[in-house]
Formats: sequence, structure tokens, C-alpha cells
Amino acid sequence: MMETGALNLRNVLPWLWTVLWIASIVLALLLFVGAPVGEALSGFWQGAFGGRRHAYLMATLSRSALIVGMAISVMLSFRAGLFNIGGEGQLVAGGLAAGLIAILLPGPPLVVLAAAIAGAMLAGAAWALLAGVLQLYMGVPLLVGSLLLNYPIRYIGSYLVAHPFRDVPSGMVQSYLVPQATWFAYFPGTRLDIGILFTLTATAFALVYSYGTLHGYHTRLNGLSADFARTVGLPVRRLTLQTLAISGAIAGLVGAIAVFGIHHRYIDGMLVQPLYAWTGIIAVLLVGMVPWAVPISGFFFAAVQTGAAGMERAAGVPKEIALVIQAVIILFVASRVSGALSSRAGRGDGDA
Amino acid sequence: MRVELNGITVRFGPVTAVDDVSLGIEPGEIHALVGENGAGKSTLMNLLFGLVRPAAGTVVLDGVERRWSSPQDAIASGLGMVHQHFMLQDTMTVLENIVLCAEPVGRFGFVDFAAARRRLDAIAAEHGIAVDLTREVGRLSVSQRQTVEILKVLYREAELVILDEPTAVLTPQEKDRLFDTLRNFRAAGKSIVIITHKLDEVMEIADRVSVMRAGRLVRSSLLDETSRQEIARGIVGGELPEARTRKAQAAGDVVLSVRDATIARRGRPVGPVSFDLRAGEIVGIAGVSGNGQSELVRGLTGLDPLLSGGISLCGQSVETLDVAARRAHGMSYIPEDRQRMGLALGASVSENANAGRDDRSAFTTGPFLRHGAMMRFARAIIEDYRIRVAGPSAAASTMSGGNKQKLVVGRELTRNTAVVVAENPTWGVDIGAIDFIHGELMRMRDSGHAILLISTELDEVIALSDRILVMYDGAISGEVSGGEANREDVGALMMSRGKAA
Repeated sequence: MMETGALNLRNVLPWLWTVLWIASIVLALLLFVGAPVGEALSGFWQGAFGGRRHAYLMATLSRSALIVGMAISVMLSFRAGLFNIGGEGQLVAGGLAAGLIAILLPGPPLVVLAAAIAGAMLAGAAWALLAGVLQLYMGVPLLVGSLLLNYPIRYIGSYLVAHPFRDVPSGMVQSYLVPQATWFAYFPGTRLDIGILFTLTATAFALVYSYGTLHGYHTRLNGLSADFARTVGLPVRRLTLQTLAISGAIAGLVGAIAVFGIHHRYIDGMLVQPLYAWTGIIAVLLVGMVPWAVPISGFFFAAVQTGAAGMERAAGVPKEIALVIQAVIILFVASRVSGALSSRAGRGDGDA
Repeated sequence: MRVELNGITVRFGPVTAVDDVSLGIEPGEIHALVGENGAGKSTLMNLLFGLVRPAAGTVVLDGVERRWSSPQDAIASGLGMVHQHFMLQDTMTVLENIVLCAEPVGRFGFVDFAAARRRLDAIAAEHGIAVDLTREVGRLSVSQRQTVEILKVLYREAELVILDEPTAVLTPQEKDRLFDTLRNFRAAGKSIVIITHKLDEVMEIADRVSVMRAGRLVRSSLLDETSRQEIARGIVGGELPEARTRKAQAAGDVVLSVRDATIARRGRPVGPVSFDLRAGEIVGIAGVSGNGQSELVRGLTGLDPLLSGGISLCGQSVETLDVAARRAHGMSYIPEDRQRMGLALGASVSENANAGRDDRSAFTTGPFLRHGAMMRFARAIIEDYRIRVAGPSAAASTMSGGNKQKLVVGRELTRNTAVVVAENPTWGVDIGAIDFIHGELMRMRDSGHAILLISTELDEVIALSDRILVMYDGAISGEVSGGEANREDVGALMMSRGKAA
């Protein structure tokens, strides 16, 4: 199907149109606010990938670590047909557990760190399982249950760092710092912490799981057709709970990465306001849940976000306009990518 | 309306579904379009109806060349189509379904349902078809739903009506009523195209018959100028398979025993149902669809729980076990709905072939899959069951209906279980595939497996079964032994409760 040059052109042409559309709308927006176009664009590029010794590229990677991690978490449950949109709650549960364990548990730093990360994953898994139990045994649809469970954990977190564990002298709503010895190290000569290695590990796990394991195969069949999975005797309930636990554990891990790599404490709203979980969901939907494309998609989102911030810094583009530009880019790329993926998947469904 | 299709070619990617077909449809004529699955009949009619676009060729209506940009154009020009899979909204009433997208708008932009009702009354009086307009479509029987589809077409003043396999879901009596309606249309000067697999029906009702094979038009002639044999040869492209002969064989031990089983359904529960199934026999369950067969099957396979009663499989009671445990105990299941239950269409052929496999160690190492072993397994099924598909890694959705069904049958029969539950195993597949699947079921029987054949296709039940149970209104209304069954006896049991033969 893709051997001739003419067809190649047909594949490339829509992308050219997408780029043209993005370029013209961005240009119009920049002219509208009177920003210097050249500086704004180079600011965007520099903000995403440049900086002194690639400092901004490191910032993009640091952000990717969290977004890709959340995207992986979402991808695992979505592929199994489980619309777990409670990644945010599982992320918060993980961050909270990581922070509190590190503050309260005495012992050698490595042990504390290991215990905190394990605790974070358990907390995330437990929070996701709660949504699964609500669906299987109480009949609350996962879509609703997982979403609603975001709120209690968020305010439990707010309460804990506003009252019992508040670092009062700091004057902020945040917990005490975790012991310095547990902080993630930076890669030599950069401001990028090693948290991204955890995300890479989780990504590798997710790829092997999705493409190469029996469990991944069974959950995928369930995701493609729950009726089919039941008919051939797959243990649908067990698969559901196990998948949610894995998905929640990865979200919890991301919470721990944010605590030990970036903030070094739990700050109220630190995992919610940047919309990591929601960005992760969009990143997964953008590429139609195709596993290998998910990390790339997550990196793209991180780059667009840091790039918009760079444009704001370099060319004085108002923050709101930078956000609009960010949205325009995502919207056009999203429609292009998902259009291409769905037309490939939807072809040739001919019965009778 | 006079329709001419000239040199039509339709391609889907590299596949040529319809290849240079020219066909004329006359007003006041019932035109039967026959051929195997994947022969291009549905595609050709979808093209006429504006659902697909031709790579070449023209559509001419009453001497004017037309091009549709959507089915709405085709409808506006007087074409109507009743699809094989009905396109109705279950939660809306009959009236709402009929006027949908063609609503008579009254003052202030409200839908004028009274006007619609008056027109439908007139149509019903003219053509002698009626259905309660206020009922919810979800509560109608299959044949009533079909009537709604036909009313929908008439309401839009169609001059050409296309029916895609309209009798697949009907009882003999309902089919007769449908054919009366079609004759009535013919008398009113409408053109009718009926896509079908069944030669009996062609011989009964058609004025002209066109045969397609592999995308090409083999022949198109008046019914009087051809014969049943000639049409059949055209369909299969050669001689017909011989009628099946059953090897006399004494039935063995009871392998499946159902005692007073009741299963929930909307309204009154199904049952109590009791029967035995012995090794080396095919027991057919005949009946008009919707008389409790699908509930019974769901209860047997473990998809739905029994309300009461018991099932014993190979000497062990299994009514509390789940689907997987029953399968492991020796039950395979060929579901009626291959699109939703039999296959995961988005997955590959190999992924479908290996689903629900018992010998897990043969294709896994620890938690990991051995893709090579899965591919080999799928390739073996593809070969043994002569499935036409690009290969084991092709998506299941790329296969034609008959090949999809062969994959389901292959996967389930390869498990070699004592009991096979086959639910309408040849629904909507072509003659070649039907013959093949029947042969495989018979081969399983001859080698000592027990087969429960639930089918709404009476000929299929009579041809294959050693014993026939008839279901009516949620219960078994009678039993007929396979050798002495004739259509009328079984047909009578299908329509009444407890007139045991």
C-alpha cells in the first residue's frame, strides 16, 4: 500500500497543511499581541530544547518524566478497556505516601527511600483498586468512581499538610522537607534528577507487558471486546483489578518521583495544578493507545509546555497567549495524529 | 424506477470488491441478487445507495446519470435500503424511529407527529402492513423490527427498495408475510432488489436473478430462462457439494445433562428446561429466534447464572462454575455473534486464535508470550479450516463473514472437548462455508463428540441432527427424532406450546 511515491506525498501532504495552519494561527496571535515573531519562535524552541548547557531541555525532560509516567499509567488501563480517569487521585496518594513515609520513618536513607517508593506505589494501587471495587461490587461505573475518588484524596492531602504535618515556619501549606539524603541525585553537570530513570523503567515494563506477556495479551482482548473476553473464559474481574493495581502503582511511583526529584516535600496542589494526570490522558488518546508511541507523545506535550513558557520569557508574550498557542498546537497535531491512526484501524471491516 | 449500473468497479485499498459490473433493474420487478459472502452483492447495493463510491462506472436512474455524496441524496431520489443489521434506536418508539431525519415539521418547529401518523396509516392500509407505532423498538420482535425498517423506507416514498438478506431472521410464516408485502410492492410498480443466500426464495419470488461471484457478475437473466441448478452452479463456480449423509452410530454416555434449568430474561424467565446430550450425537434445538434459545445458551456456557436447576458436564455438576471452569471441564462454544462475542475484531487472527486456549504452556514461557508458537498455532487453524486471510498477523476485521466464522469454529473445535455448543454456526455465511462447517460438526460427531446445535435455520437442524428439540416460549415444546423429521411437524412445534409429537 505504501510503495509508490505518489502515495508518500499523499501521506505527507496533510502534515504540511497541519504545520501551515499552526504557523498561520500562531503568527496571527503573535502579531495581535505585538510580540516580536522571530524572538518568540526562537524563545519557544530555546525554551523547549535549548538553554545554557541545555538547561531548558533538562527542564523538558524533567517534566516528561512525570507526564510520560502518568501517560503509561493511563495507557495500561485504557488498553484493557478500563476508563480509569482517576490518575490524579492515584498520583496524589503516591506523592502523599512518599512524603509522609520519608518524613516519619527513621533509618538509613536508601532504606527509607526504597520504603517510601514502595509505599507510594502501594498507595496509588490501593486508590485505583478502590475505584475497581466500587465498579465490580457496587455498580459505580469506573469512569465516575475513579474521577470522584480524585477529590477526597486531594483534600486529605491538603488537610495533612495544612495541619498535622505542616512546615509552619515556611509560611506555606506544605509538609516538612524529606531528609536531604533521600533526594534524588542530579545527573552530573545538569539540573535533571534521576527520577526519569524510574519513568524509563516503567515505560520499558509497560512495553514488554503490552507486547510480550500473557497478562497484557488478555487485558488487551478484554479492552477490544469485553463480551469476547467473557465468552472465551478470561477471568475478567481478576484482570480488571490486577490491571487497575498496576496502573495505580505507576501513578503512585510518579508521585514519589515528584517528591524526591523535584519538590523534596509534599506541597499542597503540587501534583494537581500542573495537570500531569490529565495531560497524560490526552497524550495517550492522541496516539490511540499505541504503546510505543506513548512516551513520544508525552515528551511532545512536555516540550510544548516548556516551550510556551520560554516564549513568554524571551519575547514577553503574555502567559495567556502562550497557553492559547500551546492549545492550538496540541489541537491541530491531535486531530492529525488521531485521524491518521483511526483511518488505519477502521479500514476493511467487511462482514457479509 | 428504472436503474442502470454501468461498468461499476469498487476498490477497497488493494482489494477489488466489485469488478466492472453492469446491471439493470426494472420497475415492477423483484430482482434477486445472489452469490457467496464476499462476492460483492452488498458492496454493489451499498454503492447504489451512496454508502461507498465507485472507482469507475456510472449509476443511471430513469435515464439521468446520478452521483451521490451521501445516502441522504439516494433517499431523496427515491431509493430505500433495509440493511441486514437493522439501524434502529432501541429506546425510541416505532413512530419516532420512522420519522427520524424526515420529520414533518409543524408550526413553531415542533415535530408534527399527528401528520406522520396519518401518512403511516395510509401506507399501512395501502400495503397491508402494520405495527403498533407507540411501542418502544427495543420491545419488538425481530420480524416486527424489520417491518419498521420497511415502513421507514415507504415513509420516505422510495421507488426502489433494497433488502439485504431480509429472511435470515424470520420464521417460515413471517417470511411468507414479507413476500406478500413484496408482491404488493411489485404490483404498485416499485422496484425491489433482494439480496439472499437462499435459492428456494429466489425460485419462489424473483422475476429476475443476477448471480455474482468474486466481484463479477456471472449472469443476469429472467427466472423463467434459467434453472435452480444453473443458478447454484453460478454461485459456487462449479458443481454443488453433495447432500450430507449421516453415518449410523449408536449414541454413547450422557456427557451433558440439564435438569429443570431456568434462566432470567426480561419478563418471564426461560425454562424449566431438561434434556440429555450423549457422546456421538448432534442434538438440534430448533425454534424461532427469541423463544429462549439464547438465554439457554448463556446459562449453559456460564455467561449468565441459572435461577434454578442443574447442569452436569461429564458427570460433574457445573452450574456454579464460571465460563473458564466449564470450558476446562470439556465445553466449547461457537457463539452466534461472531462480531462481538466470537472474535475481537481489532485484534489479529493469531491473537483471536489463541484466546481461551487451555494448553497455556504451549505458547508461553512464564508470564511471557511466545509469538512464534502463537503464529504457528494460528497458521495451523488457517490451513486446517481453509480460512482465506492475508496471514496470522492480519486484523480479524479484514476477513469476510464466512472466514471469520471459520476462525471461530476452528478455534473452538481444535480444543477437542467432549461437548460443543454451536449457536447458529452458519448464520450469514456463504454456501461453501456452510458446507465446510457442517462437515466439521459432523466429523466431530462421528469421532464421538457431543454437539448441541442451536439454530433458527430449520433446514440446518434437520440436515444435521440425530434428535431435534423444539423451543417455544421459553420451554421445550417437543422432540422429534432426526431421521423422521419433516419441516411441517417441526414447524408446528415451533408455533405452539406442548403439542408434543
